[in-house]
Amino acid sequence: MNARQKRKIENIIALSLSTAAAGFGIFWLLFIVSDVLMHGVAGFSAALFLSDPVPAGVEGGGLRNAFVGQLMIISVAALIGVPVGLLGGTFLAEYARGRQIARIISVLADIMVSVPSIIIGTFVYAILVKPLGHFSGWAGSTALAMIMIPVVLRTTEDMLTLVPWTLREAAFALGAPYYKVIFQVVYRGAATGILTGILLSIARVVGETAPLLFTSFNNAFFSVDMNGPMPSLTVSIFQYAMGPYDDWHAQAWAAAFVITLAILVVTVVSRMIIQWRYKK
Amino acid sequence: MTEAVEIAIHNLNFYYAGAVQALKAINLDIMKNQITALIGPSGCGKTTLLRCFNRMHDLYPRHRYEGEIVMGGRNILAPDIDLIDLRSKVGMVFQKPTPFPMTIFDNVAYGLRLKGIRKKEELSERVERSLKHAALWDEVKDKLWASAYDLSGGQQQRLVIARALAVEPGVLLFDEPTSALDPISTAKIEELVIQLKNDVTIIIVTHNMQQAARISDRTGFLMLGEIVEVGTTEKIFTSPSEKLTEEYVTGRFG
Repeated sequence: MNARQKRKIENIIALSLSTAAAGFGIFWLLFIVSDVLMHGVAGFSAALFLSDPVPAGVEGGGLRNAFVGQLMIISVAALIGVPVGLLGGTFLAEYARGRQIARIISVLADIMVSVPSIIIGTFVYAILVKPLGHFSGWAGSTALAMIMIPVVLRTTEDMLTLVPWTLREAAFALGAPYYKVIFQVVYRGAATGILTGILLSIARVVGETAPLLFTSFNNAFFSVDMNGPMPSLTVSIFQYAMGPYDDWHAQAWAAAFVITLAILVVTVVSRMIIQWRYKK
Repeated sequence: MTEAVEIAIHNLNFYYAGAVQALKAINLDIMKNQITALIGPSGCGKTTLLRCFNRMHDLYPRHRYEGEIVMGGRNILAPDIDLIDLRSKVGMVFQKPTPFPMTIFDNVAYGLRLKGIRKKEELSERVERSLKHAALWDEVKDKLWASAYDLSGGQQQRLVIARALAVEPGVLLFDEPTSALDPISTAKIEELVIQLKNDVTIIIVTHNMQQAARISDRTGFLMLGEIVEVGTTEKIFTSPSEKLTEEYVTGRFG
């Protein structure tokens, strides 16, 4: 066998192995998505969005309460998590640039990103739920915000660091104070990257169940009281999927489909923002 | 030509990072409405000197100035100088074009808005005047609301000059403004710089000796942080008094 044949055979082996690995991954991904889609669409009805759960065993009902609860918990989490992450990342990339403290916080944030979310849930349980004596929407939002903060913080830091220094110097040279340089020039330069980070952090927490189980828990009734237990889609899916009733399972599938769709939309939108930016 | 001193440097020393001395005992007069070129080999301190005029070094920790730079009767190195005020009087143009990520109009209006000018008519009027002044108006008048990044490199550099001119500074600092540009854009910028000296005093750092010879009235030659020789450009390039200057301008080193 000459060198050329050997190289060809090696190439075929490498190509088949990587194609097989990619195919294996894509197969399961499509399997899961199509399964969620088929079961989910079957459970779809107007009642899913418009009515609240009915007592166990009674036919019908929906998950209106969980949709509303989920939206409220996520929105409040974003209202806490996005500004804190954004300003924290700004501190690291601008005011503390190059200092020891920035490196330490950066590494800690990286660790926080990979902390299992159930640990965040139990932590918030210990500091908010236990002392106050009850589950609450606020606690749920706090847990999700704690998951979002390190993600937003690190993306913001990275994106601001990518903005060239000369751009800041040019703004300083016109007589701009540092906070105006950051808010009017540097943020604009990094806007798409930061926005993408925010959207991805939201996509990340939309599907979280564990931290909510320990914090906002669940509520069979419609509630907009963030001070009490709040229903959410993910926890409802968990409970319905575990339950014995067929229409519960159907609703859980439908809810799973909606969440998957929401995450898909957010991710695709953030991809589109990146592409739109780099096309220019 | 009137010979009034705009900026006088007395015995200036500058240190980076607390210890490294980058400028040694600089004495230099910058003449009003003239173009002063600073030339010298890489690392000679010409950019460091340029960045003293608008106190750009203050952005970085552990720098130290000694001596005086007197402008408008005041030592601008004094600790009580308002840097924001100073920088609106001493504009700067960098090596690479630095348009802000916003529209062409907003770029030029940036310095005006910093000064608190909010009225639409006044902004439009001064943006137009600055763009005309920077010889860019005809090329951009129909796309003022397009992104500044849509312009070519040479246009961006003229946009940045217009942005600096908008706040009507008395002095403009140029840090190798054409080293990232093609020959045609370079020629346009050079032509523009020569026109601008009617209104502002110009200090330009350049690696390109032909450029210094073409556009400047006076030239200072620096080496190892010291001024070797300063005089009219004609004298520096044709009959310098120092041997070192002669060797440098004839291209024997550098």
